[in-house]
Amino acid sequence: MEEYITIALPKGKLFKRSLDLLGKVGYSAEGVSENSRKLVIANEETKVRFIITKTVDLPTYVEYGAADIGIIGKDVLLEEQKDVYELLDLGFGKCRLMMAVPEAKKRPELKDYAHLRVATKYPRCAREYFDKLGIQMEIVKLNGSIELGPLIGLSELIVDIVETGTTIKENKLMEVDSIFTSTARLIANPVSFKLKFERLHKLVVDLRAVLAAEKGDKKAK
Amino acid sequence: MADTILQVPYGTRDVLPGEAVARRQMEDKICSLFALWGYDEVATPTFEYLDTFAGMGQPGAGAFKFFDRKDNILMLRTDMTTPIARMVATRMRKDESVKRLSYRAQLFRYEEAQAGRQCEFTQCGIEMMGAAGAAADAEVIALAVSTLMEAGLKDFNITLGHMEFINGLIEAATLTEEQAKDIKHCLIRRNAAGLENVVEAAKIPEQLALIFKELLFLHGGIALLEDMQKRVLSRRCWNALENLREIYELAKAYGVERYLSFDLGLTRSLDYYTGMLFEGYAAGMGYSLIGGGRYDNMMQRFGKPCPATGFALGIDRIALTLERQGMQFAEQPETLFVAYGEGKTAEGIRAACALRKDGKRVKLADRAMTETEMQEAVQENHYSTWKYIR
Repeated sequence: MEEYITIALPKGKLFKRSLDLLGKVGYSAEGVSENSRKLVIANEETKVRFIITKTVDLPTYVEYGAADIGIIGKDVLLEEQKDVYELLDLGFGKCRLMMAVPEAKKRPELKDYAHLRVATKYPRCAREYFDKLGIQMEIVKLNGSIELGPLIGLSELIVDIVETGTTIKENKLMEVDSIFTSTARLIANPVSFKLKFERLHKLVVDLRAVLAAEKGDKKAK
Repeated sequence: MADTILQVPYGTRDVLPGEAVARRQMEDKICSLFALWGYDEVATPTFEYLDTFAGMGQPGAGAFKFFDRKDNILMLRTDMTTPIARMVATRMRKDESVKRLSYRAQLFRYEEAQAGRQCEFTQCGIEMMGAAGAAADAEVIALAVSTLMEAGLKDFNITLGHMEFINGLIEAATLTEEQAKDIKHCLIRRNAAGLENVVEAAKIPEQLALIFKELLFLHGGIALLEDMQKRVLSRRCWNALENLREIYELAKAYGVERYLSFDLGLTRSLDYYTGMLFEGYAAGMGYSLIGGGRYDNMMQRFGKPCPATGFALGIDRIALTLERQGMQFAEQPETLFVAYGEGKTAEGIRAACALRKDGKRVKLADRAMTETEMQEAVQENHYSTWKYIR
C-alpha cells in the first residue's frame, strides 16, 4: 500500500493560493479550509493528507517529519532556521523585510542608527542584518502591530515585513533600507524527500510546469 | 540549592537500566561485526588540541572548547575520523600496510538538541587507510549495510554520491570561488530554489546550467549513472560516475545492491570528502543514521599523504529508529535472587559467589529476611529464580 504524503499549509495570506496551486497538480481533499475544525484532512483515494498550522510553526512540523512537505514564506524560513529542504520557489506571496523610521527621525546614514531600539517580529533576521552593518541595536521582540512601536515610544525603529508599504505610510513611517525579498517556498523533510522521492519529484516537476504556464499566460495577456 | 544541581546540561541525557544494557548489546554486536571483517579497535583521547581539528574547513564553532594550564585551546572531539587520521600519521607512521581500524566513542557537538540529536552522542565506525580503489569503497559500503542489518534495522536505504562529480561540474562551469561556495552551501542545505538563483546569476552554459538546476533531484538506480555519463561533457564528472558504477558492481558481489541508490547532489556538512560519499536513512527518523565516504586529502594535513575511506553510525539514532519502528530491545537476562535467614549472612555470601562462578547472574539480599519477605521481594522485582539459605 502506498504511504500518505502529509502536506502542511500555513494559515493566513499564503493559504488560498497554496491550496489552489496544489489542486492544479492533483493534490486536494474535500473540506480543506483555513477555519476547518478538523485538524487533519485526508484524501484516501490519492493518499494525501493536509494539516493546517500556524505560520511560524510550519517549518517545525516539516523538520520533525510530522509533515512531509509544506508551503511557507522565505521570511519564516530565514527566521526559524530549521533543517528542511527548499525544493521550489513558488513566486507568490511576494513581500520584503525592511527597516523603517518615523519620517521626522530619519538620519543621514544607516550607521547613524546605532544603539537604538528596534521593534520586530523577526529578531534573528534583524540581528544578522545589524551585525552585517556592524552596529549594535536593542531588539524588542513583538508578535504583531510592529508599527505601533515608534508611535508610542517603545522603539525608535522597526524591522518588519511589507507588501505594498501602505501600512508603513499610514503610520508616518519611512523605509530606510530593504533587507531581503521573500516569496513562498515548497519545503520538504529531508528523509521524506529520500523515501518518497518519486512522488515528491513529480510534484516539483508538475508545479514548475503549472507556474511556467501561468507565467506564459500573463505575458500573453 | 543551586538551580542546576538536579539538571543535566543542555543536550545530554542519562541512560537508565534496561536501555543502557540494550544499547551496550547493540554496540557489542556492531563491534564484533567490525572485528569479523578484520577491523582493529582503537581509542583516542576524548579531547584534543583545537589545531588538530582546525583546517579542513571544520569550524571549531560547533565544538565545546576549553583551555589547559598552558593556555592551549582544547576541544572535545566532534568526530573520530580526524583523531584517527592524526594517530595513524604519527604513531603508525612507518606502517605502510593498509590499515583497517574501528572505534566506539562519545562525541560532542553543540547542536540544537532533539530526540536523536544530542550534544553528547555515541558513534561506532570504521576507517580504512591506505587503499585507493573502488574495492575499498565497496567494502566500506557493504560493511555499512551489514552493520545496519546487524543492529536490527530492516527497512533502510543507502544513497551514494560523489564529490568529484560535483567538483567536476563546478570546474566545468568556471565559477568564481564565491559562486562555488554558494553552490556548495545550497547543496548542503538542499536549497533547490536558492541553487536555481545562483546558477541563473552565474551565467553558466545552458546544458551545464540544466544539470546544476536538476542536481538536487538526480536520484535513481544504476541507470541514472549511465544516463548522466551520456550527458556530462567533463572527463572529471564522467570518471566520478564510472567510479560509482565500479563500486556498485562490486557491491553486487557482496549482495547489498538492493539497499543502494544514487543521489548525485549529495554532499555532507563535514567537508573533507574527496570521492564517493554516502548516507543511510530509515523511515521514522528525520536525519541520516550512518554516513561516510572517501577523504584522500586529510592525511596529508598530518604529514602522511594516504588515501582513506570509512563511515560512522549514530548509536542513539539507531536505538531511536528501532524504537519508533516498534522493535523490542532484548530482555534483561535471568536473575537469581539469593536470600538468607538470621545469622546466615556468611553462608549467603558463599552461596552467591559459588553461583556466580557457575556463570549465574545473582542478586544477593542486602539483609537477613524471612522466607515470606523473600517471596515478596521476588514478586516485586520480577526475579526469575531464587535460593533461600536457612
